[in-house]
Amino acid sequence: MKVLRAVFLVLLGLFFFIPLLAMARFAFQSVPVVLLTPEKLLEGWSVSGLIEVFGSPEFQKAAFISLQLMLLAIAITLVLLLPVAALVEIRAPQLRTAMAAITLLPWVVPPIALVVGVAATFRNTVPWFLASPYSLVPFYVLWALPFSYRAIDAGLRSIGARTLYEAARVMGASTFTIIVRVIVPNMIGAIIAASVLTAALVLGEFAFAALLLKETLPTFMAEFQRSEPRAGMALALAVMLLTALIIWIGVRALRKRGMDLQAAGV
Amino acid sequence: MATVLLSGIRKEFGSTVALSDFSLEIESGELICLLGPSGCGKTTALRVLAGFEKPDAGTVIVGGEDITSLPTAQRNFGMVFQEYSLFPNMTGLGNVEFALKLRKAGSAERKETVDRLLEITRLTEHADKFPHQMSGGQRQRVALARALASQPRVLLLDEPLSALDAKVRDSLREEIRRVQREVGVTTLFVTHDQHEALAIADRVGVMSEGRLEQLDPPRVLYERPASAFVAGFVGTVNRMPAEREGDRWRVLNRAVRAQPTVPGAHLALVRPEQIAVDGDAQGDATVSAITFLGPLTRVVVDGPGGSVIADLLTAEFGGVSVGDTVRIRLRDDVSDVVLIEA
Repeated sequence: MKVLRAVFLVLLGLFFFIPLLAMARFAFQSVPVVLLTPEKLLEGWSVSGLIEVFGSPEFQKAAFISLQLMLLAIAITLVLLLPVAALVEIRAPQLRTAMAAITLLPWVVPPIALVVGVAATFRNTVPWFLASPYSLVPFYVLWALPFSYRAIDAGLRSIGARTLYEAARVMGASTFTIIVRVIVPNMIGAIIAASVLTAALVLGEFAFAALLLKETLPTFMAEFQRSEPRAGMALALAVMLLTALIIWIGVRALRKRGMDLQAAGV
Repeated sequence: MATVLLSGIRKEFGSTVALSDFSLEIESGELICLLGPSGCGKTTALRVLAGFEKPDAGTVIVGGEDITSLPTAQRNFGMVFQEYSLFPNMTGLGNVEFALKLRKAGSAERKETVDRLLEITRLTEHADKFPHQMSGGQRQRVALARALASQPRVLLLDEPLSALDAKVRDSLREEIRRVQREVGVTTLFVTHDQHEALAIADRVGVMSEGRLEQLDPPRVLYERPASAFVAGFVGTVNRMPAEREGDRWRVLNRAVRAQPTVPGAHLALVRPEQIAVDGDAQGDATVSAITFLGPLTRVVVDGPGGSVIADLLTAEFGGVSVGDTVRIRLRDDVSDVVLIEA
């Protein structure tokens, strides 16, 4: 059994590692592709291509936009979702099932349908809305909802939000005070989880941005890869590592509070 | 301190009637326990008083003021919950102080009140701990101190001991009673545990199906149950045939005094400790079980009228064993019994 397990783990490791190695060699070895043989594994490694991309104004613009979209999506998610989820839990727990179903909807409707529908509506009513890259933010907030809502909801339940609310209410606190001074400070774990998941989704989202013709990091990468396949691959690896890093930081922050992503409802 | 008057309260949840024409008066400084099986409406009664549930009918009057539609936050009550309800992000001290900060009390007043409360709940050395560093008993003591911080008009305790283990429960029960007397606050305590209710309350209200069956001091409740439900719910009781003999009623071997509330056939409610069991080969009953309970020994006897439970003082227990033929009688010191309609 032990041997079998080891073999399985090695195979699984190779399954992940070989494509990554291939990507890395293609991206960072300045050796013509046909000459990327096993003997030349250690030859000509260089990150100059990647540095060049990082220096290019197009990349910087796209990355900056994506970063802003990420922060805005997180901010709006928290500002809207946290009070709504808290009020549902506290005042109307019977609505929780409905909320769970509604928050899944964004993943039931395909992005293309969402975009076409929304675009058609807004083009005729408020055309300026879709002109700005920030018009992606509402889509991203919706798109992350299945994850962010679950993280927040699990957090509310694990702290016993309802009892805390009633306890503070008897003491004379207003609903606003309770959310700001009692609920939120005890939900840091869930807030981190919701934020990390939203960040990871925004940094990787391609369909909405491409359909609405916005230049974000993923759409820039897709385009860039066509003209500069090797530097494009390098960039893809870098973004992958960055996303992994964000999730890792989030998981560590959660672990410090004695939670994991699972406990945060994911 | 204030008197509480709940009158004619009705509360329905969908098709379930939680309270129907429920009335209760609590005197100033009194501790009343609402006791009953789960689903009897006791928690709903407390939540109506707290303002968490709005009654469909009836009024809530505290200190002469009708507060039926006053929001919870403005009632100035204190409450301890069954679940641990301390704010996890604040220390014990922070929790107790929270209500005072909300009322914008000055720091000198805050310190004085908090110090006094931590002292009477014996928490002074735990004040800087966070809830997750405290034991269950300590958390509920902090919750009690916190509930008293704003000098509430009424203290509400919703099964505050249920989450604790037996030993802590007993000591905290005494503690709650001591603190309540010391502060003198009008208190409503809800529990499903009869021992808790009998031990702590000035008066106990037994509830069933959304109504108050009886509201009396613990001893009266035990000795003079107003209904078969109360008799059965508080302590153990035997129901035995009673026959009229002049102005007395015959139960087992003797005729004793009793007040029939209604005409017709009656059953006497006899507590296990009112029955004696004598070994007698000519007897009409058989011992079917014996349980040693420490100071008492419980003997179950099968006789012509069915199964009867007798609690004998272990010190006086004559030493019958299972299978013995015996005779049961009323103890000599029993002079009257409670009758119910058969």
